[in-house]
Amino acid sequence: MNDKVSATNERRLTIARAMAEAIAQEMRVDERVFVMGEDIGTLGGVFGNTRGLVEEFGKLRVRDTPISETGFIGAAVGAASDGMRPIVELMFVDFFGVCMDAIYNLMAKNTYFSGGSVKVPLVLMTSTGGGYSDAGQHSQCLYGTFAHLPGMKVVSPSNAYDAKGMMTAAIRDENPVIFMYHKGLQGMGWLGTEPGATVNVPEESYEVPFGKAAVVREGTDVTIVGLAMGVHNALKAADLLAKKGVSAEVVDLRTLVPLDRDTVFNSVKKTGRLIVVDEDYHSFGVSGEIIASVCERDVSVLKAAPRRVAYPDVPIPFSRPMEQFCLPNPDKIVAAFDTIAGA
Amino acid sequence: MATDITIADDMWDGDEQAVVTNWFAPDGAAVTKDMLLAEIMVAKIQYEVRAPADGTLTIVSKVDDIVSKGDVIGRIG
Repeated sequence: MNDKVSATNERRLTIARAMAEAIAQEMRVDERVFVMGEDIGTLGGVFGNTRGLVEEFGKLRVRDTPISETGFIGAAVGAASDGMRPIVELMFVDFFGVCMDAIYNLMAKNTYFSGGSVKVPLVLMTSTGGGYSDAGQHSQCLYGTFAHLPGMKVVSPSNAYDAKGMMTAAIRDENPVIFMYHKGLQGMGWLGTEPGATVNVPEESYEVPFGKAAVVREGTDVTIVGLAMGVHNALKAADLLAKKGVSAEVVDLRTLVPLDRDTVFNSVKKTGRLIVVDEDYHSFGVSGEIIASVCERDVSVLKAAPRRVAYPDVPIPFSRPMEQFCLPNPDKIVAAFDTIAGA
Repeated sequence: MATDITIADDMWDGDEQAVVTNWFAPDGAAVTKDMLLAEIMVAKIQYEVRAPADGTLTIVSKVDDIVSKGDVIGRIG
């Protein structure tokens, strides 16, 4: 996206800044919107996504909390059910365990249990992903864990344009939204650098609608589906495949719930081959769901067995060589294509 | 006449080196004075670099380059 925009007068933002800008713009026009979480105030968020908010809106609306997700995420669900529009941060998705009752038994179900009379317009933003040697409790994606449970929308942007528009849409949504942002795409330096995530972002407010995947690169020989960091791995793999004369199409899911099965299917119908890239664990996850979506509709569109490039089913190692060995990367995607190329 | 974009001596304490983490405008962009141009990081803390003048940006230090206080990381012509 960034390469196609005119070089002059372009304003690029990191995902971190795009998220903070979307939150600030909604806070200016809706006094019910407030933010809670650990180190989201004076520090501006460990991942930079609340920078500048406490200075503009004060400590009443930008609340640093104790390290007690059980307490403050439960409080956010109550506030949302009572007419406020909280944005609450679970700093690392890995720590969902202590607050999961509030998330999936209360936040996700209250609207159903009340026959629609209670709305829960809550945004739970949480960091995902590894690649910087932070080991098994700070590096998981857990996309499938959240997308599996009904009652909440689940989104994860791959670039700053989508991050701003999806955060704006999440805050305005009448239902709970899990906004999962990959640490390696935040533009924070120490978490790794992915220049492709820092793109041109309009200053005015806008929404990127949920449930609409994006074809970020068109091709004819294979469809590579991913989200967040997986999109950047897929794009790099597509460059490598192009050198071998293979034309790869790349689909950025953007939203897991609701899932845009049509865009995935239509792409595979065109290319005949499917590779799913997922930094979440291999088994019982997003990658299997994508493949099932295509096979259930019409298995005859596939010229070859679908492939997944996902995280092995092991806790994430601290050792850098071991973690890098486990992570999806462009070479693994190319290798996966080689196994189905002749079909 | 070109204006240097120089890393200020008082941007952070000490003489540790920094790494360029982001450019918010591409090479050749038209920029305006005080506009956010770049971020550099020291010990996991990011510092903002703003445009010292109006003009056309030339990037000298790329993302991931190591830089020190006093270094010229870009120019505005």
